[in-house]
Amino acid sequence: MFVLLRFIIDAGFDWLAQQDPMALLLAASALGAGAAMIAGIGPGVGQGYAAGKAAEAAGQNPKGVQQITFVMLLGQAVAETAGIFSLVVALIMLYANPLFQSPALGILLLASTVGAGVAMIGGIGAGVGQGYAAGKAVEATSYRSRLQGPIIRTMLLGQAVGQTTSIYALIIALILLYANPLL
Amino acid sequence: MADIIIPVYVTINGTPFITGSVVVTWGIIVFLLVLSILTTRNMKMVPGVLQLFMELILAGVHWMVDSTMGSHRRSFAPYLLALALYLLVANLTGLVAIRQPTADLNTTFALAGITFFLVQVNGFRAKKLGYIKSFFQPIPFMAPMNFISELALPISLSFRLFGNMLGSMIIMLMLYSFMPILVPIIGHGFFDVFAGVIQMFIFVMLTMTFITLAMD
Repeated sequence: MFVLLRFIIDAGFDWLAQQDPMALLLAASALGAGAAMIAGIGPGVGQGYAAGKAAEAAGQNPKGVQQITFVMLLGQAVAETAGIFSLVVALIMLYANPLFQSPALGILLLASTVGAGVAMIGGIGAGVGQGYAAGKAVEATSYRSRLQGPIIRTMLLGQAVGQTTSIYALIIALILLYANPLL
Repeated sequence: MADIIIPVYVTINGTPFITGSVVVTWGIIVFLLVLSILTTRNMKMVPGVLQLFMELILAGVHWMVDSTMGSHRRSFAPYLLALALYLLVANLTGLVAIRQPTADLNTTFALAGITFFLVQVNGFRAKKLGYIKSFFQPIPFMAPMNFISELALPISLSFRLFGNMLGSMIIMLMLYSFMPILVPIIGHGFFDVFAGVIQMFIFVMLTMTFITLAMD
C-alpha cells in the first residue's frame, strides 16, 4: 500500500519537474485566485441574514423603515469586507503576482501562491459573524428607532473586533506573496 | 495589465515622478475649493440651489456627528465634512472615466492613518494616562492582543475602501470591453454611485465611532 502511494507521489513529482516552471506558476495563480474567492460564502450568508432581519423589522415597524435600511446597509457594507479582501488577493494573483519576479522557482512558489489563496478562506467566519451582528442591530433598531446612534456604534465596534481574523488571513496571504520568509 | 493593481505613474523625462492618484487628488482639491468659495461668497437668507445643496450636506454631517459622537463634539465636524466631501468626489470620478484616487492603496492608507492618529491623540487627550492603562485591561497579559486589535483598525479601514473601489474599477473596465453600449449605465449606478456613497459613509462613520470610543 505504502509502496503504491510512494510510487504515485514520485510519479507526480516527476511530472511536475518535467513541466515548464512558468506554466506551473500560472496554473497555481489560477488555482489560488479561485480558492481565495471561496471566502465569498461568509459575506453572502451574513448579508442575507441582515437582509432577512431588515425585512422582518420593516414588517413590525413600518414607520422606522428609513433608520432600519440605514443600519442594514451600514452593517452589510462592513460584513462585505472579508469578501473584498479575497477579491484583492485574487486580483493580485491574476494581474500582478509578485512571485513571477522571484529568482527561486519550483514547488515552493506554487505552494505559496495556492496557500495565499487558501488562507483567504478564513474570511468566511468574519463575514457570517459580522452579518449576524448587522441583523441583530437591525432588529434592535426596529424596536428602538430613536437609539440608532448607540446601536450603530456598538455594532461597528463589535464588527471591527470580528474583523480581526480576516485581517490575519489577509496579512498571511500578503506575506506569502510579497515577503515570503520561506524563499 | 499589471498597471491595474499598481498605480499609474506620471513620468517626467522617462522617470516615474508621482502617481496619477496624486494628480487627480490635486484636481479634487481645486474643485472643492472653488465649490466652497462659490457657495460662501454671497450667502443669502433664502438660499439658491447651490447654497441649499451645500447646506443639506452640512446639516447631514452635523446630524451624523450629533447622533454618533454627541453634540458636544461638534468640533470634529469640519474635518469629517472635508473627509466626506473628498471621499464622495473621489469615489465618483469613475463616472467621468478617471481612475479613482481611492482605488490606490497609498491614498486610502494615508486617510486611514489620519483616522488612526486622531483616535490615539484624542483618546490620550481625553483620558490622559487612563488611556494607556486601558491597553493593559482587563489583565496586563492581554496587552499584545489590544495593541494588535488597535493596529487592525487602519488596515481594515484602508483595505475595505481600496478593495471596493479597485473591484468596481476593474468590473467597469470589463463591462466596457464586453458590452460598451447602454449596459455600463447600470454598472455605473451600482458600482460607482451606490458602492462609492456607501463606502464614504462607512469610512466617515467608522472614523467617528472610533474617535468616540477612544474618548469615552
